[in-house]
Amino acid sequence: MQSLLSLWHKELRSATGSPVAVGAILFFLLLTGIWFLWISQFLVQNTASLRGYFATFPVAFTILIPALTMRTWAEERKLGSHEILLTLPVKTGYLVAGKFLGAWTIVLAMLVLTLPMTILVSGLGNFETGEILGEYVGIVFLSAAATALGVFLSGLTTNSISAFLLAVAGLLLFAVGGSLAAIVGLPASVVDAVRFFSLDSRYATFQRGILDSRDALYFVWFTGLFLYLNTKILILRKWK
Amino acid sequence: MIQVDHLVRSYGKFKAVNDVSFGVGKGQIVGLLGPNGAGKTTLLKMLTGYHFPQSGDIRIGGIDIVQQPQKAQALIGYLPENSPVYPELTVGEYLEFVAGVRGIDKALQAEAIDKALTQTDALAFRNKVASHLSKGQRQRVGLAQAILHNPEILILDEPTSGLDPHQILEFRQLILKIGQEKTVILSTHIMQEVEALCERVLIMNQGKIVAEGRAEEIARSLQGGNRYEVRFSGAKVEAVAPLLEKVAGLSVPPALAGETFLCTFPLDIAGGEALFDFAVAQKLKLISLVPCTISLEDLFVQLTKEETHAVPAEPLA
Repeated sequence: MQSLLSLWHKELRSATGSPVAVGAILFFLLLTGIWFLWISQFLVQNTASLRGYFATFPVAFTILIPALTMRTWAEERKLGSHEILLTLPVKTGYLVAGKFLGAWTIVLAMLVLTLPMTILVSGLGNFETGEILGEYVGIVFLSAAATALGVFLSGLTTNSISAFLLAVAGLLLFAVGGSLAAIVGLPASVVDAVRFFSLDSRYATFQRGILDSRDALYFVWFTGLFLYLNTKILILRKWK
Repeated sequence: MIQVDHLVRSYGKFKAVNDVSFGVGKGQIVGLLGPNGAGKTTLLKMLTGYHFPQSGDIRIGGIDIVQQPQKAQALIGYLPENSPVYPELTVGEYLEFVAGVRGIDKALQAEAIDKALTQTDALAFRNKVASHLSKGQRQRVGLAQAILHNPEILILDEPTSGLDPHQILEFRQLILKIGQEKTVILSTHIMQEVEALCERVLIMNQGKIVAEGRAEEIARSLQGGNRYEVRFSGAKVEAVAPLLEKVAGLSVPPALAGETFLCTFPLDIAGGEALFDFAVAQKLKLISLVPCTISLEDLFVQLTKEETHAVPAEPLA
């Protein structure tokens, strides 16, 4: 447990010590805020719903989570420090968990920083608390899944920029894959299958204020899957 | 302390380490010498559990590193080539991180870090951000990282590469000091390093160990015996030559280089004495009697030349 805490702590230190994390948080708050208040003209719409605000989160995440996860493994491999990391007497799964938790904590910090906006705006009218709560729960799950995918993809390369692009492409694929399959004209069964794996359709349930355990489980499964694959790849690399 | 048997590791078709076996006893400092690309780093990476062998066994303190990597790794301190550090962390933060992951008790961490930094003369830059460290300082921090948990075994991959001559001497002193109580394997392609630091040397070439033992022993076996250059004053060279051939134990007829004779004796005969006795008996004035040892450089070149890679690995220790 102490090992895991140290790994997590180091990731946080590294992240907060680099301008990427601070930039990402600022960018996220500005983008979502400006989009909601200015571009979607929330204040003149006269609707008591924050759906428009939360709808910007997955879009922003597509860029920001890759920016936060791109360095996790790629930079270690570039610097050579992963040689020390992987020869420390600690289970490989802990190393992966530490990387994931470090990046995810920054994402969660971003979400916490959106609370003042949410609280401020919800004071303006009669907002449905359940819906807002559902949005937050959904976005927490979604962010975990996206972070796990980003960290995993960072482990496939030694170049942070490649890791970033891979993660953006990966997240886009999981976001719009279903619609893309339909547009391309793939058979309905394939489209359904792709939709099943789509992160966005799962998040949509939460957006309606519904806490569906199947969707929650899907996010947990998705996160777990990529953390597991990440661990497997690191172990496999010892042999290859 | 370290036992390696029939280790093989390939990258694709290329065999980086090819059937390597050796053992290192407790407290020894062993040098792994070889040209670039000989397989030294790959071998060290396997010893630290960074890579696993495709076949063969590695036992660290009796523990199989593939079966119980964490248990074996707890016994090892490792300084990889170029001593990587996290540029954004201070030296103190970096060592705290390593101490934490190594499971050093929170209460004892500060003490362990102080001790490691003191031993490596790195206390002064504890609060320095790693990206501002010089190469020499970084190397010290890397060594501090490696000895933080007071490991029994130290594995150092080219520890002095990239340092200036002054730093190299300092760093060697450091290794000697720290190595007094530890089992150390260090890789290098610098011959003097081995002479300065190591009791034993393993010479690697093309993935194999081509010679092992004490450097002088390897040298003597390679030149086929004890060799002396001898020169007599005044005596006619042509007159001395046939007499010299009768010296007991001379294994090769003496060769003449100018006025100097080159005499080779078998490994177990102290030829110097025999030559001295010969000079006395023949009433010759001996003006020089120099034992020749092949230099480590020559040894290295001979052993690692491609055409001589078939030199058998003879355990001489």
